[in-house]
This record gives sequence, structure tokens and C-alpha cells, in this order.
Amino acid sequence: MAGDKKVDKKFSRRDFVVGSGTAIAGGAITALSPATQVAAAAESYPLSTAYLVYDSKHCAGCYGCMIACSLVHEGEVSLSLSRIQIHRAVLAEYPLDISINVCRQCPEPLCVKNCPTGAAHVSAANGNIRMIDAEKCIGCETCIKSCPHIPHRTIWNPQTKKSTKCDMCVNTPYYNKKGGIGGSQACVEACPANALKIVNELPSQTDISGYDRNLQPPRKPGGPFGPGAKPKAAKPAPKA
Amino acid sequence: MATPGFGGKILLVNLTTKQITRLDTEKYEMYGGGHGTSTALFWEYCVAPGDWDLQDAFDPRNMVSLMTGAVAGTGIPFGARTSVSGMSPQCYPIQWFCHSNFGGTFATMLKFAGWDGVAVIGRAESPVYINIMDDKVTLEDAKALWGLTTWECQEEIWKRSGVRYGQEWQQVDGGFTLQRPSIVTIGPAGETLTRVASLVHGGGSGAGQGGFGGVFGSKNLKAVAVLGTGSIKIADPRGLKDAREWWDKTWRRGGGGFGGFGGGQSVSSCCVGCGARMCHNRNRAYSVDSDDCAESTWFSLAPPHPPTSQMVNQKGTDIVQQLGLNAMETCFMGPMSFDTSHNKDFPIQPKVPAYTALGWYMKKMYDMKVIGPGTKFDMAPLPMDDFEKQEFMEIYGIALAKRIGIGNHLAEGTARFAEKLGRTDDFNTLCRLTMWGYQDHWSMPGVEWAYGNLMDSRDINNHDMSVGTKRGYTCEQFVKILAERTLKNDPFWFDYSWDTDQAYKTGIYSKHKAEWVAWHQHYWNYYKESVGFCDWGYSQLFNQAHPEGKGHTPEAEPRFLNAITGRKHTFDDGMEIGRRSWNLKRAIFVLQGRHRKMENFTGYYYRPGASYCGFAPELPIFDGSKWEWKNCKELYFSREGVDQWKTHFYEVEGWDVESGFPKRKTLEDLGMKQVADLLQSKDKLGKA
Repeated sequence: MAGDKKVDKKFSRRDFVVGSGTAIAGGAITALSPATQVAAAAESYPLSTAYLVYDSKHCAGCYGCMIACSLVHEGEVSLSLSRIQIHRAVLAEYPLDISINVCRQCPEPLCVKNCPTGAAHVSAANGNIRMIDAEKCIGCETCIKSCPHIPHRTIWNPQTKKSTKCDMCVNTPYYNKKGGIGGSQACVEACPANALKIVNELPSQTDISGYDRNLQPPRKPGGPFGPGAKPKAAKPAPKA
Repeated sequence: MATPGFGGKILLVNLTTKQITRLDTEKYEMYGGGHGTSTALFWEYCVAPGDWDLQDAFDPRNMVSLMTGAVAGTGIPFGARTSVSGMSPQCYPIQWFCHSNFGGTFATMLKFAGWDGVAVIGRAESPVYINIMDDKVTLEDAKALWGLTTWECQEEIWKRSGVRYGQEWQQVDGGFTLQRPSIVTIGPAGETLTRVASLVHGGGSGAGQGGFGGVFGSKNLKAVAVLGTGSIKIADPRGLKDAREWWDKTWRRGGGGFGGFGGGQSVSSCCVGCGARMCHNRNRAYSVDSDDCAESTWFSLAPPHPPTSQMVNQKGTDIVQQLGLNAMETCFMGPMSFDTSHNKDFPIQPKVPAYTALGWYMKKMYDMKVIGPGTKFDMAPLPMDDFEKQEFMEIYGIALAKRIGIGNHLAEGTARFAEKLGRTDDFNTLCRLTMWGYQDHWSMPGVEWAYGNLMDSRDINNHDMSVGTKRGYTCEQFVKILAERTLKNDPFWFDYSWDTDQAYKTGIYSKHKAEWVAWHQHYWNYYKESVGFCDWGYSQLFNQAHPEGKGHTPEAEPRFLNAITGRKHTFDDGMEIGRRSWNLKRAIFVLQGRHRKMENFTGYYYRPGASYCGFAPELPIFDGSKWEWKNCKELYFSREGVDQWKTHFYEVEGWDVESGFPKRKTLEDLGMKQVADLLQSKDKLGKA
């Protein structure tokens, strides 16, 4: 893509330590495998200037963001094609009932690093967002296998036989707005709970709280069951 | 190729023969999807063959359908309901063709699997569940699931797959997903064929009214599970995205309709893509993924009993969901009670609870010594001395769901329980039952709800009909807005004159009111029960937050639908589809035994006190020259007036005013000549 290129940068030890941290998100474990750690240590990339952060405790679990994502990118609605993935374990206890999985725009993007064709790239023209150029993608799934997060954030599109990932709505043929840096993001717009937000500074990489944060405006306590209340352990119902 | 917004095929499962058939959705498109399509399927498979008297809902020939509409899965607000249809074991005295619906992810997941609905007939030899994985459909052994609660059943089905949902991408039929199957299931209450059993999906998305849990049980069908990895085509993706934004900007703030329960107090979740009303709660000690309607006040006690604690209420919510009980039918008193002491003749003193349902009626009978010690109805296993305690609530639920002791009688529902006691006169007084066995539910003094109940087969549960109070508008301004938004511009549709001659001219016995009720029946038959719009958001004729007080009806419905389907339907095109399925349903009712002579309210509608439980009694009244808000708390029907109204209604619908049977011309104009022919062959066609 014009204006996009890989940018070599010396990798600092600090970057490596931060980038290889282990995070826990709603029961999902994020970790780098030894092999990818080695790969990551070889070179580095400019930081993205935009990150999608979320508030899993206030997510409404409506999947509106997923529907909006697939709609503006693919022109059809699908949970499987969405680049943001919400999972609801409807019978689990709050707040573990919802996990939110977004592309973290990794400081050391192994999807970019390991892509054999340059399809996965850092887009300098788009604020260094980590993107996949569909024209260059050969469907080898290397980016999917390389993604260090569980579940992987690169998405396989079985219709096109290519990988996709969150591009901050840069390439959205079915969106009447400008996406990308400084533009709109369909998922953020669709969220009825103010549980998604674009930030420009690199979130903390040491644990999941960098991405999963309270995005609600301050307000009065909502009573014993309102926001901020500590949920009590659910007791099992009587055996029928 | 399927019409955008639809999967294109319907799954028909015959549990007796184990035959799995794929039907083309397109064939039923004229009925609009959802309940309309289910009505057409019921006609084709249960009525048209002509070999069945259509009287027993537990007969294997009954078809129970779970059907979606065009909006499910498209991410629009208030739009992902699954409509449930079939003959209802709860309806009384005849087990009418009926409907219910539920929210959650089921409808969306079914569409992503490529199916617009599932229709089930027959009876399996032993318990099974239907497993849908995209295009692949199997009947799975459910013997080990039989006896489990609704929550345990879902957990067990998820566990069987061995997949770590949410953590590993699962490949299904070429597609991938992180999601878990959406499951709708029955609990013990359905397995024992109670008439008060619900279908439960997730924690508490339930279809209660109608008793379809018992129909599942009668078929040895424990659950339907579906996982879909596909997508739904959208005719105008940009238009749909813009429409959602337009709706958010223009309408969301006001809510409208009956209002919302969740609001700002807690995060919540319900239908896919909605998020507009926040029906379900996440952060409660109990009530996981359950909403704030009847189930959350199932064991709510009113005077003379002390108030039930919030914690016990929430515990009760979990119990009804897990046992798969219809909370509305089996509850005790409901969330509030209303003074009656000013009318000493009223049989329930000094307050009447909002819902005088099964639990309340059972206690009343016990207090009156109709049941219990010294009678032939032993109360075991209910610990009546501990009535106000949580333990009682738990035992009541289990006794009911498993038909233990007195629970065996209660499991037949309020109407049949009263009949068992030889007290059907209570329908006119204590029970506050509507004519088809459902308890009264906000139907008065907003008479259109009551009339809807009368003409349909259940409590129509249409909260949009409650026109509410002034809200800062003059009465005349208010009715004008409502009239304009119906597109028919008749303000007298909203005149509630009842105790003067004006009642016959423009009020509750007039042709105006008949037209309004017909409009509404056509509306919900299509836009709500067939398209899939939720009752909490649709219709909306008035919206306080809109600068001119306008609700999103009639703009939102066609705008969303046309963007999804690519059609160029007007609002009234949809109304005509609703009229078609409503008339088809009428034909089924008629073949089941419906006649004008049957369509009478129970006695309590005809006496003072009929509207005591009305939560919004301030209604528009036209006195012949001007509009005024008046308190209609004392509103009740006259038999003569209702009879007049019925004549108007049948005329408006094109039905024979003597019998209430549809006329040939009405049916043929709607493209249903075959229906007219069948009615004629049974001598049930209305006279021209």
C-alpha cells in the first residue's frame, strides 16, 4: 500500500520485556511463545498512534460492535467475520461472563514480522496501524499462527480465503464515514454502553488493565447492585 | 438466492420419523417471516391435511415453530426476537393456536447458521435434542439431559463439545467461530407436561406464555442448540448503518413505550445488536442474564404479607428460569398492588395485587379453606406455615415443575385449577382471568389491550398500547400526534369515553376503536411477531424526547427493513402482510371452534373495579366538543357496548358479523383462496 513500509528500529530490552508480558482477559491468557519471542527480538516497529480499548465490566454484551464491524467492512452481518470478538458465557458470573478480544496493535507485531509477503504491515500512512493488505495476502495463515494472543486477533475469512484484522476502519467500503486515525470507528459508534474507545497512547502492556479499563463517566453510586458494587458469589439454586 | 436479511431456508424436523427437511423460506414470504410464516406452516402441515380436530396441544401432530424475521442478527435496536408458535396447552378452554417469543442470541445464531426457523412435529421415542451446526442438523440423544434444569442442560451441551468457547476458534462447516451454541431448552416443568412451562434460552430469555415448554416435553424434545458461522446478506449496508445512526440520534434518548427497566443502574444485555433498553442484568448476585419482568417479581408479596426482600426476589427469578416455569402465570402477586377499599363490593380487599396469578390464587383458596386441612386437597408438600419464607418459594417451584402433591393440580394452570375446585365463577371475581385463561395484565383501562386479548388467543402483552399520561402535551395535541403516526389520522381511535353516549359515537364501543384495535393486531402480527421487532420498542407513536413528540413509528420500521431486504415496502405494505397472517390465524381459530358467541370477556371486565390495576389511568376523553384528560380508574365495560364493538370489529376485518367467520372475499383479496375453500368445506366460511 502506498506510503506504507516496514520501519526498522533497534529493539530495546525494555520493549522486549514489556512486549512479552502475560495478560489475563476474562479468563483468556495472552502470552508469547518462545519461538515468537525470539522472532520479536530481531527487529522493531514504530508504535501505532491509535489503540482500541474497552470496558468489559460495562459492556452490554449486545454484539452491536461485531455486527457493525462486519457490516462496514464486508457489507454483510456476521459474528465470525468481525475483527473485534466479544464472547459471552451467559451463565458465568459477572464480570467473567464477557470477554472482549481486540487487536492490541502490538508494539512488536508478530503478524507483521512473520508475514512472508508483506501483506501484514505497519501503515505509516495511517498512523502506524497494523494492517493487512488483502491484495498481497496469499492466505498462508502465518499471521494467524503468529498472533501471540489467545484467541488470536487476526481473523480468517473463509469466503476470501484471506486473513483480516482490525484496521481502525481504514478500509471500510460500506461505511459512509472516514475511518482510521482521526476518523470514526464503527464499533465505537455502535456501542450503546460507552464500552469502547480509541486512545492514542500505548496502553500498558504489563497486564490486561491497559486495554480493559473503566470508560464510564463518573456518576453517583447505583445502589447495592449498581456499578461499582462488588458482586456476591452466586449460590447454586436448589436441585430440581 | 435468499432475499437479503433471510437465511433462505427453514428446518422442518419430524421427530416421529426422524426426517429432516429443508423448506424454502421464499415460499412463505407473503406471510412475512416469524409468526406469520409459522402460521402458514401450521396451516399447511396441521390444518390442511384435515385429519385432526386441533384440540390437544400435546398431540404429536401439533407443530411448534421457532421462527425468526428479517431483522434478527442485523444489529438494529429492538430486533432479534425468536417467535414461538403452535397450539397452546395453556389456553383455556380450547387450546388455541398461539404464540410467544424470546430474545437473546438464538434468532441471530440460527440466521448465521443459514436457517430462518425450525418447525418441529411428531414425537421422539426417547428424549432428544436438535443440534444445528451451520448446515448440518442432527438429532442427539438427550436421555442424560432429561431431568436437568435449563441451566444445567445448556452447560452440559456446551461441555459435550469439548471446545473452550471464547478462547479457541472452532471450525464448523468451513467457517470459524469463537462463540458457543445458542440453546433453547426446557426444564423439569416442560418434561412433566405442565401447562405452565416455558422455553428458556441462556440465563433467562424465556418464552413463557402459551406453555410451549410442555409442548417440547410432549415431543420428548429437550432442547434446540444452534451454532452458526455464516453471515446474513444486507441489501444496503451503508443505508442500514446510517439508519441505525439516525435512530440513535433521533429516538434513543426518549425510550418511549412502556419505558426501560435496566436504565443506568446496571449494565445489561439482551438481543444481539440491541443494547437500547438494557433488559438483562449482568451484575447481580442472582438473576444471571435475566430480565426485570414477571420473573423478577415472581415471589413478590403484597399486603397483608411483608414485602419480599430483593435477594429473595432474585433467588426466585433464578428458580423459575432453571425449572422452566412460566413466571407470569405462576407468580404470587406481582410488583405492586392497588387500593380497593373505596369500593367495598370489590371482592379483593383492601388492595388488589397487579397479578392475581396461580400462586396468589392458591394462597387465597387456602385462606378461604377451599383447599388444605379438612378438604380433599392436601397441601403437601407446600409448607403453608412458612408461606412468606424463601423455603416455601423453592418448594412451590419444585412441586409445580415436578407435579408433586398439590403441585400436580397447580401444574394445570390457574383456569384449570379453578375448574378442578369447581370454582369457575372465580373467573369473574377473584381470578381476574381473561377469557382464554390468562391472567389480566395491564389490559384496563386501556381497552385496546383487553379487546386484543378477546380477539386473539392469549394476553397479547403489547405494552406499546398504553398511551399513558399527558407528558406535557395538551390532550388534543397528544391524540393528534398518535393519530398522525398511525398514518390514518383518526384521533378518535384514542378516545376512551366509556360511560356516556359518546362511548358509542367515538369512544370505546365505536367503530373508531374497532379500527384502532384492528390496526394494532395487524401491526404486531407483522412488525413484532413476524419481523422480530421487540414489544419494548415497537410500536412507538409518541416519544417524549422528540421535539414534536413523535415516536419512531411509522418511519423506523420501513427504513430498517428496506435497508436490510432491498424491498421498497411502505409502512402500510407491512400492515397488509400483518392483516394476511392475522386472517389466516382467524381461520385456524374458527376451525378450532371460535365463534362470535364465545368472544366474551370474563365477568370482572363488566363490573366496577375492572380497571383498578391500571397503572396509567389518565386517558384522553372527547366529550363531543373538546378533548380532556380524565381519570378512567373506574372504567369498565357494558355487555351491550362490547357487543356493539364486536360488530364494528368484524365489519372492519371483513368477517361475518353473526359468526365472526372470515368471508371469502376477505381471504381471496389477501391471496388465500385455499383457506376460503377449506373453511367452506367445513361450513365455517362467513356469509358474503
